[in-house]
Amino acid sequence: MALTILLIDTDTERARALEDKLSASGYARVLRAEGPDLAAAVERTKPDLVIIDMALPDRDALEDIRSVSAASPVVMFAGTDDPAFAQEAIAAGVCSYNMSGIALQDVRPILASAIALFQRYRHVETELAAAKALLNERRLIERAKAILMKDRKMTEPDAYRWLQKKAMNESRKLAQVVADFVAEAENQRKETKP
Amino acid sequence: MSEVVALKNQRSGPRLRIGFLRLTDSAPAIVAHEFGYFAEEGVDAELLEEPSWANIADKLAYGFLDAAVIVPPLAFAIELGLRGVSQRLVIPCNISMGGNTITLATALARRVQEKCENRGLSVPQALADSLAVSQADQRPLPLGVVHAYSTHNLLLRYWLATAGLHAGRDMRLSVVPPARAVEALKSGQIAGFCAGAPWGEIAAREGAGINVACSDDIWRAAPEKAFAVREHWAQEHPDALKGAVRALVRAGQFCDAPENASYTGALLSRQKYLAVDSHAILSSLPGGAIAQNNLSRFFRGAATFPWRSHALWFLEQMARWDLIGNVDAQGLAARVYRSDLYRAAVAPLGISVPTADSKSEGAHDAPWSLDAAPKPIAMGPDSFCDGLIFEAAPAPVSF
Repeated sequence: MALTILLIDTDTERARALEDKLSASGYARVLRAEGPDLAAAVERTKPDLVIIDMALPDRDALEDIRSVSAASPVVMFAGTDDPAFAQEAIAAGVCSYNMSGIALQDVRPILASAIALFQRYRHVETELAAAKALLNERRLIERAKAILMKDRKMTEPDAYRWLQKKAMNESRKLAQVVADFVAEAENQRKETKP
Repeated sequence: MSEVVALKNQRSGPRLRIGFLRLTDSAPAIVAHEFGYFAEEGVDAELLEEPSWANIADKLAYGFLDAAVIVPPLAFAIELGLRGVSQRLVIPCNISMGGNTITLATALARRVQEKCENRGLSVPQALADSLAVSQADQRPLPLGVVHAYSTHNLLLRYWLATAGLHAGRDMRLSVVPPARAVEALKSGQIAGFCAGAPWGEIAAREGAGINVACSDDIWRAAPEKAFAVREHWAQEHPDALKGAVRALVRAGQFCDAPENASYTGALLSRQKYLAVDSHAILSSLPGGAIAQNNLSRFFRGAATFPWRSHALWFLEQMARWDLIGNVDAQGLAARVYRSDLYRAAVAPLGISVPTADSKSEGAHDAPWSLDAAPKPIAMGPDSFCDGLIFEAAPAPVSF
């Protein structure tokens, strides 16, 4: 049995990885589509299964696919079959639509690969976001210190201690205190400008 | 900013994860969060921007969200399990009225406007006529709606029906998420769309389309977004639920006050919320709008009250277009639209609350006064474009 799978994912690297994996298994023919007219893509390719990145708003269009393909039933695999499985999929950021009424057990391995892949990419994304946040925090601390040194004539160590103390007094994270402090200072600067 | 205010008050209390879409009428939830209204009420609210209505629905159904700013027909679809697994929801307060536009591609809009002026046709009649002409040579492009189970789908169909157009039979509708509507219009995928603010205004600003009608042209007091909460969460946290409703009603008062328009617009335009030009948002905010016809209303005219008659109107229209089968509409409306929760929640605020749960919809062409306690509420006109009046049958008396 070769299933036709329509894969809708803007992350090309992830899409290619999934395509390779599924094609290698021999029981899936993978097609790729990108927005905006996904309903037309479904009509054209008549897939058995659609796998889509949940971060795409285009998923709304797939919900109403009945309007283009009256013949094939549309079942979300986030159906009642297996709530735990669907939950895992949603948490990983992947959703699937069963377009031709195939049974869950037949596509479970395919979906499981998709979920695993999405989880892995999400993990990488989270790490990247954390690294970016750290960089941004450092930049903001430097900026806040500069403002304090200029406006209040503090030394650099004093400025840093002042920020730390403020965070402690307000029992908040230093990053939040610094971000708000810089935003406020910049707003004031804008307002005082003619 | 949110953290600053939140810490001045209290930070404990149950966590309430609220999903929202990039739309102007998400304003009360955003304001309640940013101003610390939720925190003041002992609710640890977390706002989550979702890319699509499908995400809102799935995440509510599987418990990844506790609540959402939602289009009411979708809440019924989730409740009934029409699109995946079902989840019991309650609507303890409404969020907004009005704010949608029907936006057509510039060339089509010009043809429609010409026909209106030259031949005295109504806008939907002129649209029907224009589509009939283009049908002769080619398959006409569809009109976009944001979701099958949206207020937009129901309002657009209602409006088209006044010109004898039956969407699906006489013309195609296609689902285009709100944030994608402008792009779809530009690329020629759709001939026009019905979507919430600010997307019609953005299409107009980019020269891609013209707004030929708005919510008020279809129903002058059209309910738009509601606050839906998983019933399970509501039952587990009855006090926090009331607190959340108070926070949202207070935020609704803020957003409804004309003097706050520029502030609300600037707040919503932030990258983490709508991420669009604040001027485009202003154009449909009370106090920020130049024309007063496409206004989102967040408090005036009992906008936050969860009217049972609104629920019944939505269910009737969903049945009219075969979006639902046979359901016990009265029972469903009473189970989901919880005016009792609203009344209990807002009592400490001292605001006027309607004395009835239902009203005649569409009976008023002019401003009128609604029975409410302690004082009557000033209401705007609420007529439909076809002049019909929707009478929700009185709820059966229960013992």
